[in-house]
Amino acid sequence: FQLPARVHVPGLSSALGRSPNTLVAVRRVLLAQYSPFPSNGADVYEEVLGSTAILSTGNKNLDKLLDSGLYTGELTEFVGAPGSGKTQVCLSLAVNISCELKQKVVYVDSTGGLSASRLLELIQSQVDSAEQQTDALQRIEVVRVFDVYGMLDVLQDLRTSFTQQVGERERGVKMYFPLGVGVWPIVLGSQVKGERMAIMMQLARALKTMARELGVAVVVTNGVVQDMGGGVKPALGRSWSYVPNARVLLQREAEMGSLQETKRSATVLKSSRQVTELHITGSGTLENQTATDALDNT
Amino acid sequence: MGGDGVQGAACELHGGYSGDNRGGGDRFKGLLARLKGRSSLKNLEPRLFTEEGLASHGDAVEFYGPEGTGKSEMLYHLVVSCILPELAGGLQVEVLFIDTDYHFDMLRLVTILERRLPQGTEDTVKGCLSRLYLVQCGGSTQLLLLLHSLEALVCSHPALCLLIVDSISAFYWMDRLSGGESINQQEASLCRCIEHLEKLLSEYHLVLVATTQALMHVPGSGVYKSDGVSAAWLPLLSTAAQYKPYLCKSWQRLVKHRLVFSKCNNNARDNKLDFTIVSLHPKSSVVSKCAFTVTDGGIQFL
Repeated sequence: FQLPARVHVPGLSSALGRSPNTLVAVRRVLLAQYSPFPSNGADVYEEVLGSTAILSTGNKNLDKLLDSGLYTGELTEFVGAPGSGKTQVCLSLAVNISCELKQKVVYVDSTGGLSASRLLELIQSQVDSAEQQTDALQRIEVVRVFDVYGMLDVLQDLRTSFTQQVGERERGVKMYFPLGVGVWPIVLGSQVKGERMAIMMQLARALKTMARELGVAVVVTNGVVQDMGGGVKPALGRSWSYVPNARVLLQREAEMGSLQETKRSATVLKSSRQVTELHITGSGTLENQTATDALDNT
Repeated sequence: MGGDGVQGAACELHGGYSGDNRGGGDRFKGLLARLKGRSSLKNLEPRLFTEEGLASHGDAVEFYGPEGTGKSEMLYHLVVSCILPELAGGLQVEVLFIDTDYHFDMLRLVTILERRLPQGTEDTVKGCLSRLYLVQCGGSTQLLLLLHSLEALVCSHPALCLLIVDSISAFYWMDRLSGGESINQQEASLCRCIEHLEKLLSEYHLVLVATTQALMHVPGSGVYKSDGVSAAWLPLLSTAAQYKPYLCKSWQRLVKHRLVFSKCNNNARDNKLDFTIVSLHPKSSVVSKCAFTVTDGGIQFL
């Protein structure tokens, strides 16, 4: 793709035997077609007000942490060590959105951690009739991916299928696709560092444009690594750290007595809204659903 | 000839020939004379831009820092100060915000705006927001195309004074991959963007504020060798030492002020985080420091 903007007009016009004015016009058309167009802040605000929805997570404490829930158009990340409940949080988010909010969910499973029977169990705890349960299950679409390229393919497919369904959306059916994505294992696949970073950033960009353009809430999970001070920090390095709009750290509290009483806590590490609660307070235990459900499984 | 005629002609010349506009020099000078009337940003946040402030048009300022150190928040603060009407203590100028990270949070900006406009109605808020232009950008090629098409916007908006890019390093890794082996090629598209930015700044007297992410790990950061430096300066210097340039040379050349953002961990009271900014002048390495905290209503300087 040769940049039209780089062309030296007088030189080219004599080479092609066209008048400079024609070339200037061509350039202007190309720029109008390919360059992004700035929009006025007031219009953007109207649009944001009209299109932003906040999806409740089904857990009061988690909602409070996230400033009332998952925002459409944003990327929310759950980080935590193995066994801290990341998958459980994703599962209960999917179930809540499917059962309570009656919206569609696409669950991209990159770790193989999703079990259908577990999903059904959670749905059964929410709705009673078998019919409703089937409906709820049908609203959750599960996609399995095994590497980052598969992931990018899935995102591409989702975008195409979503734009085809625009007609349906206009009739009043609004859809949100929170994705449970285990990013960490897939990115490890590629070897060279530069390449790995580039692919990771491409994935990040794909996720964010999808969130913005389709107006869906995107949820990803990520592991943790040791930092120099002996604590933990989100994995995937500095470049990824800029990507999510909100980040919640999930931790297993120190074991107390039997396994049944293990508590998990969630702390907001990053949020563009809850500025004062950043990093220090805002720690709440997910007593009800998420924590106990996580235990049932183990 | 009417003012609009001059402006239109100059736009066309300028947009078309990229600098080869000797034939229209006279008309172009007329336009320049008009553009010199762009308002000054001299009074924009004196606590941040201490000494000479953002005095001269055409300056480029870099906000550098790791994730979560308040860079975007500071950008919102500057945007709000610019778009607020003069009666409410703002500068009442227009701002163009280039969002390369898909990170811009309109709701947050409006929250800050409403705090600064205590008796503001929905209409006054919208009036302020209409002075803001927002554009998102998905790759360095797109950024370059955008910068080329901006001339028309800049020409037709004499009140546009501030250009914000959040962040200019967003495409770093993707450019690295697409450029192949040679560093020059990897940096080519960003360099072109920066050349073009430079032109926009100098010809239209805009001020640029751009953020860069701390993508590179700095070995031994936080530990600064003290060679006879007084203790009070140590924290400043160690913050400054965290700065590691990695973007292309033309960017390093363009930047006039560099502000390095960092978090302060030593403060547990009020559950509030403090942030510090150390400003570096690339030429003279003069250091000055200021601290701020982030509240619901935006940035508060300490």
